[in-house]
Amino acid sequence: MISDDLDLITDTVEEQAPVEACTKCTACNTVCPVARSTEIFRGPKYLGPESERYRDQHEATVTAGLDLCSGCKLCEVTCPSQVSIQEYIRRAQNKGAREKGRTLRDWMLGHTRLLSAFGSMTAPLANFGNRNPVVRLAMEKLVGIHRKRPLPRYQWLTFERWFKRRRQQAATLTLPRKERTVAYFYGCWVNYNERRLGEMVVHILERNGVNVIVPKQQCCGIPAVVNSNIDLARTYGVENVRRLSTLPAGVDIIASSTSCGLMLKHDYSHLLDIPGAEPVGSRTYDICEYLWMLHEAGDLDLTFEPLDTRVLYHAPCHLKSHGMGYPATRLLRLIPGVHLEEVDEGCCGISGTFGVKVEKYDLSMKIGSRLFEAVKAAGSDSVLADCETCRMQVEHGAGARSSHPVEILARAYGYR
Amino acid sequence: MRFDIAVVGSGLAALVATRSLQKAGRQPVLIWPGLSSLYFVYATIDVLGYRDATATEPVDNPRAAIGELIAAHPDHVYARAGLEALTAGTALALDWLREAGFSWRGGLDRNVVLPTATGTPKPSCLIPDSMAGGDLGRDDPVIFCGFEGYEDFVPELAASNLSRTWGHAPGSVRGLRIRPPRFAPGRLFTSIDLARSFEDVAFRREVADRVRTSIATNGDRVRIGVPAVLGLTHVADTHARFEEEVGHPVFEIPTLPPSVLALRLFDRLRKHLQETGIELIWAAPAHAAEVSDGRCHRIQLKSPGREQAVEARAYVLALEDTADGAMRAGVHTIQDPFFHRVLARSDVPTERTLESLFKPQPFAQVGYRITDRLQPADDDGRPLADNVFVAGGAIAGYDPSGTKSRGGMAIATGYRAAQEAMAA
Repeated sequence: MISDDLDLITDTVEEQAPVEACTKCTACNTVCPVARSTEIFRGPKYLGPESERYRDQHEATVTAGLDLCSGCKLCEVTCPSQVSIQEYIRRAQNKGAREKGRTLRDWMLGHTRLLSAFGSMTAPLANFGNRNPVVRLAMEKLVGIHRKRPLPRYQWLTFERWFKRRRQQAATLTLPRKERTVAYFYGCWVNYNERRLGEMVVHILERNGVNVIVPKQQCCGIPAVVNSNIDLARTYGVENVRRLSTLPAGVDIIASSTSCGLMLKHDYSHLLDIPGAEPVGSRTYDICEYLWMLHEAGDLDLTFEPLDTRVLYHAPCHLKSHGMGYPATRLLRLIPGVHLEEVDEGCCGISGTFGVKVEKYDLSMKIGSRLFEAVKAAGSDSVLADCETCRMQVEHGAGARSSHPVEILARAYGYR
Repeated sequence: MRFDIAVVGSGLAALVATRSLQKAGRQPVLIWPGLSSLYFVYATIDVLGYRDATATEPVDNPRAAIGELIAAHPDHVYARAGLEALTAGTALALDWLREAGFSWRGGLDRNVVLPTATGTPKPSCLIPDSMAGGDLGRDDPVIFCGFEGYEDFVPELAASNLSRTWGHAPGSVRGLRIRPPRFAPGRLFTSIDLARSFEDVAFRREVADRVRTSIATNGDRVRIGVPAVLGLTHVADTHARFEEEVGHPVFEIPTLPPSVLALRLFDRLRKHLQETGIELIWAAPAHAAEVSDGRCHRIQLKSPGREQAVEARAYVLALEDTADGAMRAGVHTIQDPFFHRVLARSDVPTERTLESLFKPQPFAQVGYRITDRLQPADDDGRPLADNVFVAGGAIAGYDPSGTKSRGGMAIATGYRAAQEAMAA
């Protein structure tokens, strides 16, 4: 980068280099989990900065194999020149979809919130269907959802309603005034599929003297982004930014989903270019990141029950993109009796809705095979991962139980 | 975020510094600014191949030659780091390689001369076992074996070059090309593609068959040099099996970037650190040291969403080289991102480079002035901060290219910086 205005380069919040900063060093290709697993994929270097130089807004998008990019962002994590490789690919994918149209399946998967709301309303029926081989065969043939991919179980009672009810019950009690307040961005997963995780997050925060509020919110938009529907993602993002911007000063935003958190922190202001997104991003924290901050401030309750448990930790790809290290591992090492081992076998392969699709399921399982083998070899039946789809994939591929790291913390606090 | 000691960097100097701290019972964090381009050029660990950039005679005993170098040039990077740091750091590195599952050989008392991908002899100090068969001190004939479609290794060129400087009988060096199975004819591919394929047993056997058949007529005592593509991850097994299947000694030759040998080395060492409890912070370039009362209290990370402060007792800035973006180059000045000091000034940017790639490049000399304890120093030689130490290519005058000393200088400065950081 050539510039004499050094303040511009060194003191921005985040360094993002233009396409010309790519030196073609190929670092991205060597870490790309898709390129590792299929010869058809031409790799992030070619599909990102190299093709970007020749992309023209007025011409049709022609780069073949674009849809094989799963969006893990490891290329960006690895790039020594901070080129936003994956954003170039995303934009091109989106432009291609706009020109050629989307499949019904990709449209549906992009509307995860709508789909989940429906699944939740019809929970017993939806769950039965999602586990019924005949229904699954039909889904594969008609929609393109691979029949072997276990789909998440829906819950009739959403987190949103649980929280509201709880507040109504609590309103009759006089709660102690708490110094800190956070707004919980629970995301679709906690709302419709894993309410218990949200309950644990609330419990842990409150135990540590943090008041939790739950603002009205929309899907973070990542399912739309990965299904080449940036316009839809922006609509969601604009709504979230509008609502979250009205939070009083001093209220931080907490996310328990790695990818939701990354959307709020980064993609809203970069990929989606949403006005006003930066102040929202700058006060968004991953739940473990926030708890670690409490610990460093001397405010984390350390009266843990000893657990005597051995767990593996898989760091999700998007967690690496947060640029905050692995706060979950630091937190869990505070608990007596927790023996934590890290398995670093890279991407699990599912990448949100990528591994759900009929034409990508096998590839997704191949990408994850190294992780599955490592988990099996480690002989542990419990794998922690901050990301919900990583957990789905590890359970499916390695046959191990997988949970969010806060579950261990909640157990150590005596939460059952 | 608070840590015991923060190491910033992604090359060998950063890895050795982190490992030294870990072995001493400290809790370092490794802040990883992305793969440095040097990730791709390492293959062996070279300590001192030539006495200076113009020498033609290789160094035989690096330890002895470095002793002389230190005596003659007290300002040399080796002199600043000290022979002791090199010795202890090398011992630590060799132990680490073993513990991480590698088979390497060599020591500071002897260089081994190996052929490069263009067939020139090159002195190296510590080498992976899979390269050892290339030792040009031995006289058995060499066959360079390339692969059709892989244009970064030209066996005929390597053979023709090597036969000019080495060879005891006519025909003792020759080239050979094999068509690898599975790849469609006419397709071009990289070292990474081949290395991934070699991890597949059927592919490896098929290639071994083709190699064996091609050289069968030419008799017995030969060794076969192949580009270093025998597996991307764990190599010991792939190399040994392939050698068995070919029926002749096989040795790997480092390739043009991306260097599979370097990927294997650094991926495994990084993972080993993580497996043994060292935390890595990815995707967050570090900058902006906050100094008061002579000490650095925090540095900032450019994380998504916001800057994050890292507070540590001491900091090791193990920025491998100018090539990995450690420094900020403007039109006339080069500045460092931590103390925002102008490290070099030039009236025209082209003064920083020489046209001949093989001459020592002025830009490679740019870096921090350092104190005797490897602290970055101001123009008067006073430390910019008592608890910050520099290792690797961010040191001024650090130019390992011509002397083939990249690995040794990284180890010596990485080790020494770690010792100083513990004492700070």
